[in-house]
Amino acid sequence: MSVDPKNQAAEEDLRLPFDDEAGHGTGKRDLAGLLIAVALFGLALVIINDASGYPIRRSYAKFGPEIVPYLIASGICVMAVITAIMAWRGAFEARDPLNIGALSWLVGGIVIEIFMLYGGTGFIAGSAVLFAFAARAFGQATLALNLAIGAVLSTLLYLLFRYGLGLSLPAGPVERTIDLLLR
Amino acid sequence: MDTFILLFEGLATATQPSNLMFALLGVMLGTAVGVMPGIGPALTVALLLPVSLSFGATGSMIMFAGIYYGGMYGGAISSILLNTPGETASIMTALEGNRMAKRGKGGKALGAAAFGSFFGGMFATLGLAVVAPFMVMVALSFGTAEYFALMVLSFMTVSAAFGGSMSRGLTALFIGLTIGIVGTDKLTGQVRLAFGIPEMSDNISIAIVAVGLFAIGETMYLASQYVNHKAKAQAVSGSVWLNWGDFKRCIRPYIRGTGLGFLFGPLPTGGAEIPTFLSYTTEKRLATGEARREFDEGLGAIEGVAGPEAANNASAAGTLIPLLTLGLPTSATAAMMLAGFQQYGLQPGPLLFTNNADLVWGLVASLFIANLMLVVLNVPFIGIWVKLLTIPRPWLYAGILCFATLGIVGAQGSPFALILLLGFGLIGFVMRRFGYPLAPALVGAILGPLAEEQLRRGLMINQGDWMFLIESRIALAIYAIALLSVFGPRLWALLRKANRKASAAA
Repeated sequence: MSVDPKNQAAEEDLRLPFDDEAGHGTGKRDLAGLLIAVALFGLALVIINDASGYPIRRSYAKFGPEIVPYLIASGICVMAVITAIMAWRGAFEARDPLNIGALSWLVGGIVIEIFMLYGGTGFIAGSAVLFAFAARAFGQATLALNLAIGAVLSTLLYLLFRYGLGLSLPAGPVERTIDLLLR
Repeated sequence: MDTFILLFEGLATATQPSNLMFALLGVMLGTAVGVMPGIGPALTVALLLPVSLSFGATGSMIMFAGIYYGGMYGGAISSILLNTPGETASIMTALEGNRMAKRGKGGKALGAAAFGSFFGGMFATLGLAVVAPFMVMVALSFGTAEYFALMVLSFMTVSAAFGGSMSRGLTALFIGLTIGIVGTDKLTGQVRLAFGIPEMSDNISIAIVAVGLFAIGETMYLASQYVNHKAKAQAVSGSVWLNWGDFKRCIRPYIRGTGLGFLFGPLPTGGAEIPTFLSYTTEKRLATGEARREFDEGLGAIEGVAGPEAANNASAAGTLIPLLTLGLPTSATAAMMLAGFQQYGLQPGPLLFTNNADLVWGLVASLFIANLMLVVLNVPFIGIWVKLLTIPRPWLYAGILCFATLGIVGAQGSPFALILLLGFGLIGFVMRRFGYPLAPALVGAILGPLAEEQLRRGLMINQGDWMFLIESRIALAIYAIALLSVFGPRLWALLRKANRKASAAA
């Protein structure tokens, strides 16, 4: 059977999600992967520490609220060991370079929104800033235009959800003005 | 015959103006998000979870099901015109569909996809209506041991079937289970893993988990890549209506695709990935004549679009069987819908059919209506959806983020909820970056507390004796299925590899 190259390419596209476990790793020791293993161990410790502090109850079950956390913690420990082995052997696939700048814009946008929402500037302003920062993260550098679109979108969302669905959203000067005008 | 009487009563519920509106809203949203690459139906339901609380149970479930079906229709559009499947269910459609679009037959591919989705959706929904009552009868005899076994089955298969590898799937599952135990224990009132934070001693809202992992995490992941967010779509070329010749070529793939989708949808193997894959390979193997040539020369064969598209919609209907009758989600979207039910204090399962019959049958009937709406929306009005592909990505994703935070702010309204949201977003981002599937984490967080309740109830009844778990024959059978569905695909892949080697050697 002769296989033409196009067909072979299609064949590779057809990989089922679960048969790529072996053979696609980098083969290099993966520090970030080891860090995940450490984090998983840490999580297991936190769960065990928490569960060991529950008061002992006597019941027919013989087992109280601590049994499932212990089961989960032991499961996580097993997964942490497997993760450590995977990272050690380089079984994680190669990752694309990380665009730290974009990620910072995004996380920064969310953090600033949290401060703005609960610092009294209201939903529309906070949401517009988040919109502008997020668009910037995706490479749209026109900050003023982003802010303008974000403000329009947030205002529409505010009107829709405040008056359409009756959701209560943090109000600032802009929202109070809108509420006054619409009353 | 009872089924059809109930279905007619359901039709009365579904045709109430407000429910028709929710169905329309659902299918439009579903198609829209299906079209846009990077967001799928699971994410959309997640975004709407917090705001849907004011819609009422029946209305929001009808809307969610519309989103699920619509997502399957819309996914085909981006696969065919952009070669970037909107969600995993449309990966197979992209193969032949995009080749057809490049050859100026994009319209035909879209038409085949839309009618295939209609065919698959209609017949599989009919199947759902017929099969569900039998499943309910079986499920009514289940006790704690059987339910616990079913949940273990769900955990295992969800971890094995989604995404990269079994070990990462299980890790994601355990992270989800951990999220599930945070808060006040239902049976004893013990507060667990709350660290003295009052918001944590109520259980963490599933909406925060879902929106954080899926919406925030996914956008972070997309932003963190150095890719051009301005890929170009193929224009729609040619008519979307099928002529008799096309239809004759499509009808068999439709039937086979529907069968595969309906068969695999209810199995906890992760939704539409496997049936669409099987449908594609079947059509490719069976192709003769013109179709053979188109498959072999990479010209794009209409059968390769028709089969998988019928299969993915049929599997969406199939997925609803275990969701409604057993409360078991077998895909990420189904898991979100389960969270939607829980939001209203409803627990899907056999009792839902007796206690909330109008909701269940209204939902099933509305699926037929949703399908009709979708075929109308997707054939004559296809141009509108294609326009969506021209929204600049930066603004699209920025809008999604604004909407995501709006939902949480409106429903929870505390700075802590937003910090938690950001935290889950970062976890979701790390998971995506390292190839961990997100669906098991969500299923773990939703089903974990239910599984714990069954386990501890069982232990209480049996006075702490673990043996009750394996004394039921049905439960043992379910564990056997769990093992088979985890290791079966692996064996199958090995066999395939061995076969390919043998045929390469010959």
